[in-house]
Amino acid sequence: MRARVTLAAVAALAVLAASGCAGDSSPLPGRPSESAAPAPTNPATAVDTSCNPRASLRPAGALPAPGRMPAGSYMAAIQKRGRLVLGTSQDTLLFSSRNPFSGKVEGFDVDMARQIAAAIFGDPNKIQIKVIAYDKRVSSAVDGSVDLVADTMTANCARWKDVNFSSIYYEAGQKVLVSSASAARSIEDLGGKKVCAAKGSTSFDNIAKVAAKPIPVARPGFGDCLVAFQQNEVDAISTDDTILIGLAAQDPYAKVVGPRYTEEPYGMAMSNAHPEFTRFVNAVLAKNRANGTWKSTYERWLGDFGAAPQPPVAQYRD
Amino acid sequence: MSTAQLDRPGPAVAKPSGGVLHHVARLRRTSPGRLQLILAGLVALALLTGLVAGLTTASAAAGTADLGNRAQPLLVEAETIYSALADADTTAAQAFLAGGLEPTALTRRYEDDLDRATTALTSAARRTPETGRSADAIRQLSADVSRYAALVASARANNRQGLPVGAAYLSSASTLSRESLQPQAQVLFKAAQSEVGDGYRAARSSWWTALLVLLLLALLTALVLTQRHLSRTTRRTFNVPLVVATAVTLVLALGAGGVLISQRAHLSEADTEGSWPVALLAESRIAALRERGDEALTLAARSGEGALETDFDQTTGQLDELLADAAEVMPDGTAGSSVRSATQGHQNYVRAHDQVRKLDNSGDYDGAVALAIGSRTSQTFTGVTDDIGRALQDRKDVFSDEIGSAGRGLGPLTVLGPLLALLVCGLAFAGIRARLEEYR
Repeated sequence: MRARVTLAAVAALAVLAASGCAGDSSPLPGRPSESAAPAPTNPATAVDTSCNPRASLRPAGALPAPGRMPAGSYMAAIQKRGRLVLGTSQDTLLFSSRNPFSGKVEGFDVDMARQIAAAIFGDPNKIQIKVIAYDKRVSSAVDGSVDLVADTMTANCARWKDVNFSSIYYEAGQKVLVSSASAARSIEDLGGKKVCAAKGSTSFDNIAKVAAKPIPVARPGFGDCLVAFQQNEVDAISTDDTILIGLAAQDPYAKVVGPRYTEEPYGMAMSNAHPEFTRFVNAVLAKNRANGTWKSTYERWLGDFGAAPQPPVAQYRD
Repeated sequence: MSTAQLDRPGPAVAKPSGGVLHHVARLRRTSPGRLQLILAGLVALALLTGLVAGLTTASAAAGTADLGNRAQPLLVEAETIYSALADADTTAAQAFLAGGLEPTALTRRYEDDLDRATTALTSAARRTPETGRSADAIRQLSADVSRYAALVASARANNRQGLPVGAAYLSSASTLSRESLQPQAQVLFKAAQSEVGDGYRAARSSWWTALLVLLLLALLTALVLTQRHLSRTTRRTFNVPLVVATAVTLVLALGAGGVLISQRAHLSEADTEGSWPVALLAESRIAALRERGDEALTLAARSGEGALETDFDQTTGQLDELLADAAEVMPDGTAGSSVRSATQGHQNYVRAHDQVRKLDNSGDYDGAVALAIGSRTSQTFTGVTDDIGRALQDRKDVFSDEIGSAGRGLGPLTVLGPLLALLVCGLAFAGIRARLEEYR
């Protein structure tokens, strides 16, 4: 009975607090990877530079008209099913979080996926949102339980071995969130202080690599980090600036400081079993970069924090 | 030991003990001496019987009172704590699923749950000794309940302002509930269950009762043998005081036997018709609430079927078995019809749940949430827990009645037992002294 209670508790933990978690390690189960090692004790975790993680597959020709996906393609399979299954989180404010008023999951990442649904069906609402734990993002794309992962997910070479990424749709980097009364100007000023990040994330690993030696504290998700911050259990939170902006927006006594000390290019992940789908997604992204949709989406969600920058330039490996 | 040794200064203890033995041996050789010995034996046996009668009934009375006033109520309170906490957690998750401002009905239900849990916790603390497993669980629960309430309050304040961090507060609260509060309540429940078992053993006081029966038999036999001896050695057939003493002993034996047999019969009724069904029903209610919690948390997680859905299926199997057992134990009456109705309601609820899963799995999340927290499913589910609650109340009443009856007569017997034994002493003394005086 006790074991079942614990099991249920672990599941409940993943529940409302499935973490947003950009920049985290999400290895396939059973496959060894550098990021799965206990990184905080191993600051020399090698960065896999065997590829250009920003380069994706080049779109093939013009986009098919919505509702007329080429026969035999994965898009036709999605069209036949009647909905695009998106894997994301529900507590990364501004990117993909649950709107407490309506109960809908919404944000920049969700809109990116809705634009894909619109290109397939002509209707952005033909989408099913499935919340996945941050360490299930790679495996969910591989096993086909979701069609697409858009979840502040960093494209890196380790993950490229298992999944295809779309071209980059957002450039993030790790910063630090502190109390508005804090004198700290970057993570380097937080030596000996407790800094929170999601358990198993590379954000968490990165904290331990900082020369000033802050103390990394793990919580199930970044929402839980904010709870810990508000209850004075930790002094700061460090992860991708995008997530921090969302957290700071919920707490007037918090501010995001410092330069980005890592680079986190976001891509949408999908199975590499059907490259035509990756090319299709890239074609939609290219169209939306060109016609201003990317810019208006940025302004809708992130406009409060400054004017929209130029969208990341698409790079292709073929 | 030889007589020669008696004249020598020896160890202080050896002399009196040797003296008594010697004295007894000498008394046995004369008729008045034998009578004196018999008198001493009868008086000692009667006094011992009186003492044991008092102790037996006192122990049985204390055990019965402890079972009725402490152990069984503690079990009921432990179940209240567990189910109130589980229901509070489920209610909070449902309010979250509803979106927007929490529905008033759910807020009220959550607050009622928390009130019930804290009230039960306070009275459980009164019924628990200060050290031990139960006391530790109660201390932990008291500390965690206030932390839990504070987390939920923060969740609601944040939710009211439209901040998603409210969900993280709720998740922390839920984790606290499922990882600490509910397991501690479970510990308390198990401890209370074993205390009820101990309570029945203490109330039956089997060793004392067996000793009392032996002593009463010995006393009766001794009285009868004494009278046979007297009627053989003297010309009188009956020794009136000894006849009366025998009658008084018989009255004592019948009275004690009657009270103790009735106590045991009522205890056994209280166990089979009260405690056992109460335990079954309490576990059933816990299982039902667990199902509902699994359903709400699965939807809140929004990640399709996972460990919680597996847990739902396992719990459903358990609950079916528990209700089948309950139906066997309670075939008729209020409890019987409530259990039948709960079984039927549970089947309907599981059908609704299967529909919820089907909707969610086919991509209609909003439809699944609407069905799960909609009034029809809620009513079906509340019907199940209400039915179980009705049966539970019925069985609690049966238990109280039986325990009340079991305790009846034990109090008077605690006083009367020793008094009757003293009377037997006095009568034996009177009866034998008359014969002794004939030798003067």
